[in-house]
Amino acid sequence: MVNLVQNEMTKLVGKRRFVIISIIIIALLSMFSYAQVKQAESIKERLGTVDWRTELQQQIVDMQNRLSSAGQWREQIQIQIKQSQYYLDHDVNPAEPGAPTFMRGFVQNSAELFLPLLIMIIAVDLVSSERSMGTIKLLLTRPVSRFRILLSKYIALILSVSLVIFLFGILSYIISVIMFGNQGWSAPVLTGFSTQGDTLDISAVRLVSQWQYIIQQFGLAWFISIVVGTLSFMLSILMRSSAAGMGTMLACLIAGAILSNMVSSWDSAKYLFMVNLGLMDYVSGSAPPIEGMTLGFSLAVLAAWMLGSLIVSFTVFTRKDVY
Amino acid sequence: MHSKKVRWITGFAAFTCLLWVFGLGWAVKDYLIGTTSTATAPSVSEQPIAAVEQVKIVALGDSLTRGTGDIEGKGYVGYIGDMLKQKGTDISLINLGIKGLTSPGLAEQMQEKEIGRQIGQANVILMTIGGNDLFLGGQTLSDVSEASITGLEDAFLINLKAIMTSIRSVNKDATVYLLGLYNPFSEFENGALLSEVVRGWNYKTAEQLAEDPGTVFVPTYDLFQKNVNDYLFTDHFHPNEKGYQLMAERVAALITGVGGQS
Repeated sequence: MVNLVQNEMTKLVGKRRFVIISIIIIALLSMFSYAQVKQAESIKERLGTVDWRTELQQQIVDMQNRLSSAGQWREQIQIQIKQSQYYLDHDVNPAEPGAPTFMRGFVQNSAELFLPLLIMIIAVDLVSSERSMGTIKLLLTRPVSRFRILLSKYIALILSVSLVIFLFGILSYIISVIMFGNQGWSAPVLTGFSTQGDTLDISAVRLVSQWQYIIQQFGLAWFISIVVGTLSFMLSILMRSSAAGMGTMLACLIAGAILSNMVSSWDSAKYLFMVNLGLMDYVSGSAPPIEGMTLGFSLAVLAAWMLGSLIVSFTVFTRKDVY
Repeated sequence: MHSKKVRWITGFAAFTCLLWVFGLGWAVKDYLIGTTSTATAPSVSEQPIAAVEQVKIVALGDSLTRGTGDIEGKGYVGYIGDMLKQKGTDISLINLGIKGLTSPGLAEQMQEKEIGRQIGQANVILMTIGGNDLFLGGQTLSDVSEASITGLEDAFLINLKAIMTSIRSVNKDATVYLLGLYNPFSEFENGALLSEVVRGWNYKTAEQLAEDPGTVFVPTYDLFQKNVNDYLFTDHFHPNEKGYQLMAERVAALITGVGGQS
């Protein structure tokens, strides 16, 4: 088994997928961190101070002004206002400048779309490429059961996803440390906000150190990526062409990003996997796309989708005619 | 059979996999069960108040402070900032204006801790308030009766007094500039009557402010007296960029010489 997994890893490394992913991450990171530096400069110019309290207070007032014309965003903004006010009242800087804060924001923003896209680069042709190149026959003539072959591919996928998340973390650290410095690992972060309609429940709010928060966030990002990876994996078995699998998955992910913004009145949409990808929003305390969704619920929905697609993958692969 | 490199990568990937499983488990545990705070709030380190020569401006009040109606979104506050910067004054500017704010709303906003801290650091406080108290979003226009106006006025003056007390409790030295009201409806049917009401309102406001020598009442009534429509935004209530410019010029001229800059 170990040998089979190693074999799969050799193929992935040979295809230079990790190099491509690293290059994409580095390119995007450089742009984001540069944009962040620029933004900080423009805020400083506008307010004439670097005091974060002043900046946060200004943000709160700006949000209050948007309230009257916010329409359906009203609840979200109200929660955001209350949360910012809580930070302010407890003298906790929500964005302590430094590399950890940048990493936190970056992983939070990329967990729903960017990271899954990177995972797709690996997962989407894991099986279909073997078929299109004809190497699948060689693989299946080996004296190993089909189940074990697929299992080794899946384990390789999980390992690669972990590696990609790690690359993502380490690269964002390296680049942001150059731009913003290394301070802020033990800075406090408020977590445990829960929302009920437009009210913010602060009874369970507590402070955690930023490094703990970041590890937790990466854990959640990892889970999201595994789910997306598993679904792409299924598509790569079901579809002959990698491009078709990629397209289908992309469509789902983008639909999810759009739906999360507009499904608040379509209740049963909460059973779709793509609406549940915003796991981190629960931890940071913004309003869920559909009322009543919780972290436990989303994890369960995602796990169910994952399990379902695994069953489909293994049944189809072990029974399929290969010619 | 497998190169060392791949072996190493696989092993390392397995390690990171464990790390992320741990992170996930931790997040779920924390979320579902909750923990006590593991970090402590930072000791409140009061930042050194900005360098002496910097003039800190805090703007309070309603949509006029916010800059509603100005296509550049600056409002009179933004233009004052620009004018002072042009003169070479080093300023920091925070705009706490909220659209639709009335004097009770402002009095309430004053109670917030951070707002108090901001005001405490200010050298100059700019304020517009009262417009929403009086005009009630256009309602007063159709119903101008002596009694209702007096009621509104009395309530406003009490709130204004409370606001000034709040400001003075945290900041004794800052100069407070309160911009008076103008009559946006002067070319309307009972415009003349409303103008009278606005003049009375401004008069009483100015009298009230005079109790505190550190305040300056800045009239705007005259700015909008002639050709009012040239200076108003399309909503016929808020100034446009020209109107805001006029207001800003007036206030900026008064600010010069304050805050350590000769």
